[in-house]
Amino acid sequence: MEIRPILSAMMRNRSGVLLVGLQIAITLAVAANAAFIIQQRLEKIGRPSGVDAANMFYVYSYGYSPSYDSKPTLAADLDTLRRLPGVLAASSTNGMLLSGGGSANSYQASANTKAPQIPGNYFEIGEQGLNALGVKLVAGRNFRADELTYSGLDNLFPKQIIVTRTMAKALFGDERVVGRLVYSPTGDAAEIIGVTQNMMGSWVDNRHPENVVFHPILQRGARLTYMVRTEPGRRDELMARAEKALSKPGDGRFVVWVHSQEHYIKNSYRSDRRMVVFLWTMICLMVGVTALGIVGLATFLVNARRKQIGTRRAIGARRIDIVRYFMVENGLLTAFGVIAGAGLSFLFSYWLSNMFALPPLKLRFVLWGIAALLLLGQMAVFIPARRAAAVPPALATRTV
Amino acid sequence: MLEMQNVVKIYRTDLIETHALRDFNLRVADGEFVAVTGPSGSGKTTFLNVAGLLEGFESGSYRLDGKNIGELDDDARSRTRNQKIGFIFQSFNLIPDLDVFDNIDVPLRYRGFNAAERRRRIERVLELVGLASRARHVPSQLSGGQQQRVAIARALAGEPRFLLADEPTGNLDSLMARQIMDLLEEINSRGTTIIMVTHDPELANRAHRNVHVMDGQVTDFHAFESPLAAAV
Repeated sequence: MEIRPILSAMMRNRSGVLLVGLQIAITLAVAANAAFIIQQRLEKIGRPSGVDAANMFYVYSYGYSPSYDSKPTLAADLDTLRRLPGVLAASSTNGMLLSGGGSANSYQASANTKAPQIPGNYFEIGEQGLNALGVKLVAGRNFRADELTYSGLDNLFPKQIIVTRTMAKALFGDERVVGRLVYSPTGDAAEIIGVTQNMMGSWVDNRHPENVVFHPILQRGARLTYMVRTEPGRRDELMARAEKALSKPGDGRFVVWVHSQEHYIKNSYRSDRRMVVFLWTMICLMVGVTALGIVGLATFLVNARRKQIGTRRAIGARRIDIVRYFMVENGLLTAFGVIAGAGLSFLFSYWLSNMFALPPLKLRFVLWGIAALLLLGQMAVFIPARRAAAVPPALATRTV
Repeated sequence: MLEMQNVVKIYRTDLIETHALRDFNLRVADGEFVAVTGPSGSGKTTFLNVAGLLEGFESGSYRLDGKNIGELDDDARSRTRNQKIGFIFQSFNLIPDLDVFDNIDVPLRYRGFNAAERRRRIERVLELVGLASRARHVPSQLSGGQQQRVAIARALAGEPRFLLADEPTGNLDSLMARQIMDLLEEINSRGTTIIMVTHDPELANRAHRNVHVMDGQVTDFHAFESPLAAAV
């Protein structure tokens, strides 16, 4: 391979080579980091919710009449919802999964006020709450009807709780947790009576999204939210029927909205999806511009060297030798670019980590980027190289 | 031996056809030094292009060292150029980005010689043309005469049977032109067949034989002192 003479020739055309090399380096740095962020976002979007999201919906009603009484309304509503054919379970709740709004508390494994406080996103549910979510118990038992209380400041911390597997582990490690007591920061104690499989909580960007705790508490007040799980494929039909069933004229309240669980999931990841599309578009544009830069430089070099190419052909170069010359030259140019770009990628990642608390870039994204850019370079230069190979050897004897 | 019989070369555009060579006949024996002369547009350079396998031809027969050139594909023509023919161009045609050593190295790389063999050949031809001390100079650092010497060195490095020169002194002053001619005569005396296209009658007179071309045909032969001319 004639690498040294090609390098020598490249060094005499420094400005174009440097510009395109720099363009390749910047493209690699941006594309590798963008691809890494895309992968993180896709992983985030692809996280399982842990609940039967496809068959779940929420109904929110507001009581406005002075005669409105939430306790009998709640009991009647739950009875109505549970009687609808196709409904598997219904419960009141204080929050919706991945809705961006919910309740949180700190939990401790011991009464010692200096014990580590584990943040937990708690849901106040009834005895059908776990079933309405489609969440299975992996240990212990469900709430009994006699354990349910009504929400209010005086009984915020319940006597029994159920936790997710992740929350159990956060509190007690790998020890058995059913029957253990957990404490609020104010010293109130609750017994863990069950452990469920993992599920997401209310906040999509929560650092501990699966630290979920269930409290056996029914809602009261003007605002009541119900979560309902249906037989597969009947959700949309039952959303309409549930709204109609709870909208009785003259009962002093109205149904404000009915939303599916998927509605919240879709909304909660909207910004992530937009970011993915934006970053993909940016990568495509940068790669496209870089490819054009490579084609442009190669075309310029071919045009500027037509006489030289003719001479090379005249003194014995085959067409394939000319194609190979430009491919090798481009390979070297891209190699310079990606070597510089690899360093730049990690510098850029370091800056992003400091500025936006992102995890450090993984090496494999840089390696994939290098491979992609080397391939792109070879593809981009192929047509100009073929054009160069078509330069006739007789051009060597022409004086113009 | 180079032998052309009734070679026809036509350049075509959408509007016109130009008959650059018409029934062109020429035989050049091994070891000859032939000057090809003629006015501008007479077909001298076309002849050189066809003889040097830089261009094809429409009809006729062309044999080089007994090989029928008309049957060769593009790759085979490239290989034949590389192995049997050395070119010297009027404007030297050195690669400006490469130094003297690397310029001479180019055809040797295409030939597939290993690095040691290439170095040996390059050093030998640089000694021959008197530029051993300029191996790492780029063309822009050399005079016109020196550049043409490099071009001659490049043409000779592959030890070709034929040296085709297109106005090799056309861009040189008279002193440098004489030096180049001296060098070509020395090369010819070592057995390399030289065919030189030139406008300059003085240079043509230093060849063994002068072939005059007019309207794409050989119109005249002038043999000089060479005994080889008589054999043709």
